[in-house]
Amino acid sequence: MELFDCNCWYGVPRRPPLAGAETAEVLVEEMARAGIDTALVRNAAIFEQSPVTGNRLTSDDCAKYEALEPSWGILPPQTDELGDLDEFIAAMRRENVRSLWAYPEKHRYLLSATTMGGLFEEMVCRGVPLFLRRNEMPGKFDTYELAERVLLDFPGLRLIIVAHGSWGEDRLFRPLMERFPNFAVDTSRYELDGGIEEICNTCGPTRLLFGTNFPETPMGGPLLTLLQANISDDDRALIAGGNLRGMLEEVRL
Amino acid sequence: MIAEGRLAREFAAHGRVDDCPVIDTHGHFGPYQAIHFPRSAPEQVIDTMRRCGVRWLVMAGHQALTDTQRGNAEIAAAVARYPDHFRGWWVLNPNYPERMECELDGFETQEGFLGFKLHPNGHETPLTDDAYVPVWEYAHARGLPVLTHTWQGEGMSSYREVRTVVEKYPDIGLLMGHAGYGDWEESARVARDHEHVYLELTAAYSVRGALEIMVEHAGSRKILFGTDHPWFDPHYGIGCILSAYMTDEDRRNILYRNAQRLLELPLD
Repeated sequence: MELFDCNCWYGVPRRPPLAGAETAEVLVEEMARAGIDTALVRNAAIFEQSPVTGNRLTSDDCAKYEALEPSWGILPPQTDELGDLDEFIAAMRRENVRSLWAYPEKHRYLLSATTMGGLFEEMVCRGVPLFLRRNEMPGKFDTYELAERVLLDFPGLRLIIVAHGSWGEDRLFRPLMERFPNFAVDTSRYELDGGIEEICNTCGPTRLLFGTNFPETPMGGPLLTLLQANISDDDRALIAGGNLRGMLEEVRL
Repeated sequence: MIAEGRLAREFAAHGRVDDCPVIDTHGHFGPYQAIHFPRSAPEQVIDTMRRCGVRWLVMAGHQALTDTQRGNAEIAAAVARYPDHFRGWWVLNPNYPERMECELDGFETQEGFLGFKLHPNGHETPLTDDAYVPVWEYAHARGLPVLTHTWQGEGMSSYREVRTVVEKYPDIGLLMGHAGYGDWEESARVARDHEHVYLELTAAYSVRGALEIMVEHAGSRKILFGTDHPWFDPHYGIGCILSAYMTDEDRRNILYRNAQRLLELPLD
């Protein structure tokens, strides 16, 4: 069973977490200690400074470690900071980047059809997943409202909300799972007793991706929770890495 | 897998370790306004305990956080029905001072309760408020433990308020629920400096690096395991403890030895 972490980062944020991971090397060492095979990663510069800098740093660091797969941040194509749409897709192809992250609050743009329509149409067409952090938007439930608006406009988009908080948020994300077949959440903060089991039984195991939220959260919590969840081994393997592996392999750049 | 050491290997492989039982000192019971619980019926809770190797769950009713009379009675019934699995925290609500004396008397008549549970933030009453004085006097006179919600920030339930209370009532076994979340080092120092103050880990374990600070400044003998169950799967908290940089002896102190000593719960 491959353990493929969909949600971790490294780097030097303005305000470091209690225990940070300033380099990719630290992250790889912690993954080896925990027994995690692969991780979809991003340098903190993507969200703390700019994807212009962070995307490059992420790709350069991931090139040194087989266990790391790079993931990039997006910006509105209209400002041309990451090149026009064709150039951005070409850069993704060149660097083998198969997933993207949006930080609309930090980077001050509207994650809407008007702003991102062209990019989202390409992402739908090419099967590129988009990740959103649960606490990206300032209001209590704003990230879910944003996800709903995006999915209403682009129901084919693969959208994953990560680090959804220790208070079980099933009342918020299960309606999205019910309506949008391409919506999923990660397990990094899914601490609810019986949560993983109930999602497998009601929505199916494809709606969960293993994540650790490292370095903010210890890897062992989400890892032991998944390893010991009362689900079938097939479902466990999908959540542990199969879903993400399959999603990325279907990306056509 | 997860980390080095036998405990990590065995928890990863089996979900439990027979010679390392777990005592969960911070549980709840029944439905709650803000969350859906898939596994909150007593039989489901006991099944979770079995799968995770949790020997005892000490819990306070969600209902008791609002209506103490009905809620404490609900816990009394659960403890009476499952005396080999559950113990209770007797919840007191400072917003109903007229009930306080009667409810302290009620505590004496019930079996299976180990001490009191306070929630200053939930009840919007600072831990240093006079409304709690009857609780402190009662617990201090009898050497009873009190589990209180603690969280960073001034004036409600932080390490500062805990320190004020225990300087006046040093014999109370005071469990700082959530380990004073956020004020890690300061809270650990209060636990270090006061013999009967403990750091309880619910939610705190999920902040990477916090456990190491607690062990460094308070020592693993001043830390207790808890999960807010049914909020959180015990495996999540156990996994975080296994990830933390400490010895298996430290982990055993946290997972059961300290609670066994403090709460006098049998482990046979």
